[in-house]
Amino acid sequence: MIIVKLIEWARKNMFFVKALSYTILVLLVVTDLFVPREHPHFIGDFIPGFWAVFGFTSCAMIIVVSKWLGKKFLFRPENYYEDENSEETNGYV
Amino acid sequence: MSSGFFIHPSIFFFAGMAVLPFLKGIQRNVFLVILPLIALATVVNIDPGQYASLKITTLELIMGRADKMSLMFAHVFTLMALLGTIYGMHLKDNWQIIAAWGYVGSALGCVFAGDYLTLFLFWEGLMVTSVCLVFLRKNRASLRAGYRYFLVHTAGGLALLAGIFLLYYHTGSLAFGPFEPNNASWAVYLIMAGFLLNAAVPPLHAWLPDAYGSATVVGSVFMCAYTTKTAVYALARAFPGFEILIVLGVIMALYGVVYAVLENDARRLLSYHIISQVGYMVTGVGIGTAMSLSGTCAHAYAHILYKALLFMGVGAVLEVTGKSKFSELGGLWRYMPYSLVFTLIGGLSISAFPGFSGFVSKSMVIAGAWQSHLIWAALGLTLASAGTFLHTGLKVPYFIWFWKERPPFDPPKKEAPLNMQIAMGLTAFFCIFIGVRPQALYSMLPFNVEYHPYTLYHVMESWQILLFTMLGFFLLIKKLTPEPLIGLDVDWFYRKGGGLFLKFCKGVLAKVENGLIMNIHQTFFLPLMKIIASFCSWNDQKVVDGIVDGTASSTLTLSSRLANALQSGLLYRYLAAMLTVLAAIIGATLWLTQWIK
Repeated sequence: MIIVKLIEWARKNMFFVKALSYTILVLLVVTDLFVPREHPHFIGDFIPGFWAVFGFTSCAMIIVVSKWLGKKFLFRPENYYEDENSEETNGYV
Repeated sequence: MSSGFFIHPSIFFFAGMAVLPFLKGIQRNVFLVILPLIALATVVNIDPGQYASLKITTLELIMGRADKMSLMFAHVFTLMALLGTIYGMHLKDNWQIIAAWGYVGSALGCVFAGDYLTLFLFWEGLMVTSVCLVFLRKNRASLRAGYRYFLVHTAGGLALLAGIFLLYYHTGSLAFGPFEPNNASWAVYLIMAGFLLNAAVPPLHAWLPDAYGSATVVGSVFMCAYTTKTAVYALARAFPGFEILIVLGVIMALYGVVYAVLENDARRLLSYHIISQVGYMVTGVGIGTAMSLSGTCAHAYAHILYKALLFMGVGAVLEVTGKSKFSELGGLWRYMPYSLVFTLIGGLSISAFPGFSGFVSKSMVIAGAWQSHLIWAALGLTLASAGTFLHTGLKVPYFIWFWKERPPFDPPKKEAPLNMQIAMGLTAFFCIFIGVRPQALYSMLPFNVEYHPYTLYHVMESWQILLFTMLGFFLLIKKLTPEPLIGLDVDWFYRKGGGLFLKFCKGVLAKVENGLIMNIHQTFFLPLMKIIASFCSWNDQKVVDGIVDGTASSTLTLSSRLANALQSGLLYRYLAAMLTVLAAIIGATLWLTQWIK
C-alpha cells in the first residue's frame, strides 16, 4: 500500500523531512517580498511575511491561552458529570 | 402559485421511511442509493417559483418557496443525504436510516417553507427525528445526552413559537422574509433566539458537542450537516444586516477554537469546530452584503461536505476500534490508512488549503468583512482559521493515526466497511472538486458576485498562515498531549445546576419550612384558626339556623313545581324554551364581540 510505504519512509528519514519543511517555510517568506499587492486592505498587507508571523502567533496564542484557561478554570476529571445518584436510576438500558 | 416543475423533495424521504422496513438484502441497498438520487434529481430540476400554498381563512401557508437560496441548500441537503445513506448502508437495523431520512425530510421542509408556521412545523420535526439518532446509540450516556438535547431544543422551539405568535398578533403576517434591523420588536428577537439556539451560538451552544459526541456513528454524520445549517439558512433569510450577528459570529468562531484545544474526544472536538465554522456563516449574515451573504451560502455548502467527511473518518475509527478519545488512540496509520487520507482531505478542506473546498468558500466571508471595512472581524476570523487547521488539520490526524508507534490496544485487523470507504471517497471527491472548480459552487449562489479566490497574493497569504501554524503546532506539541479530562462548558448550568437546585431544596428550603414556617404556624396561625372556627360554629348554630329554619321544606315544594313546568311533555313548550336559550346565546355572543372590538 503506497500510503503506508510513504509514511514509513518519511518516519525513517525524519531529518530530511524536517529540513525540507524548514526550507519551504523560509522560501515562503522570501518569495513574499516579490508578490504584488493588488487589493491591500490594511497595513499588514504591505509587510512581507506578515501573515507568517500572524499564523505562528495565532497558533501559539490559541494553544497557550486555551491551556491556561483549562488548567485555571475549566478542566475536570472525566467522570465529573456522573453524579452519585446515578445508581438509583438503574434499570434503564 | 407558479407553473413549472415542482415536487417537494421531502416527500421522497418521508415515503422512503415507510417503505424501507419491507425491503431486504440487495433490494434494500439499491433503494438506499436510488431514493436520495431521485430526490437530488428532483431538486436539480425544480423551476424557481412559489408552489404548494394552502389558504386557511386569513393564513397562507407556503410549503414550496423555491428560489436560488432555497435550491442551493436543498441541493447540498439531498447530496448529503445520498452520501450519509451510503455511509450507513452496512447497518443491520434500519432505524437509524429511517430517523435520518425523517431528519433530512424535515430539513428540506424548512428550506422550502415560505411562512413561519410551516417553518416551525418542520423545525420541530428536525428536533424529534434527530434526537432518535442520539438515543439509538443505546447506552446510558447517550440516553441522558438525548434528553438534554430534547429539552434544550424544546426551549428553543418554544421561543421561536412565541415569537411567531407575537409577530402574527402585531403584523398579521407570517411571511418568512427579512426583518428590518432598525426597528426590530420583541417578536423578532424571540424568533432570532430560536434560530440562534439551533445555530449553536454561545451561550446557546452546549447541546451540540453534548449530542454529537454521544450520537451513533452514522447519526452524527447526519446531524453535523442539517440542524445548524438549517438555522444558518433561516438566519440568512430573516436577519441579514443585523449587526449583533457580526459580533456573535466572530465570538463563536473563536469560542469553538478555544474549546477544541481542551477537548480529548475527537467527535466533540469536531463539534466545537462546527460552532467555529458556523461562526463564519453567522458573521456573513450579520454583514449582510451580497458578497458576505454569498459567502455564507457557499461556506454552508462546502462546510456540510467537509464536516461530514471529518465525522465519517473519525466515525470509521470509532466503528472499527470502539474508541474516539485521543488519549486512548494513536499509531493507526498502518492499520487504517484510507480513513487517514480521507480525514486529511476533510481537514485540509476545513482549514482552507488552496485546492480544497474551504479555500473558495471561507475566504468569501472574510473578503466580505474586508470589503465592509470590518478589520477586527476579518482578523478575528483569520485567527480562528489558524486554529481550525491546528485542530482539525493537525491535532485530529496526528493523535489518532500517528503519535504512538503502535495503537495502545489490539490493532484492528481490517479497515472500515467498504460502504463507509466509498462514502468517504465520494465526499472527498466533492471537497476537492469544489476547491478546484469553484465556479460550479458559485453558479448556485443566490447573488451575482464577482469573486476570484485564486489570486497570487491570496494563495501566498493562505500558505503562510497555514504552514506557520503547522510550525507552531510541532514546536508546542508537548503542550497538546491529550489528557483524559473534560472542559467545563455552559451545559454545567443545567447538568450540575439541577442537582444544586435539588440540594438547595433539601438543605435550605426544607430547613426554612420545618424550622421557621412550622413554628409560626403552630404558635400563631393554629390558635387563631381555632378561635375563628369556634366563632363560626356559634354563628351557625345560633344565627343561621334561626333565620333559615324551614328552608328545606320550601326548596322541596319549589323544585317539584319547577319539574312540572319543565317536564310538561308539551312540544311547543320545549321548542319555545330552546329558542329562548338560543336567542340568549346569540345575543350574548353579539354583545361580547362588540365589547371585545
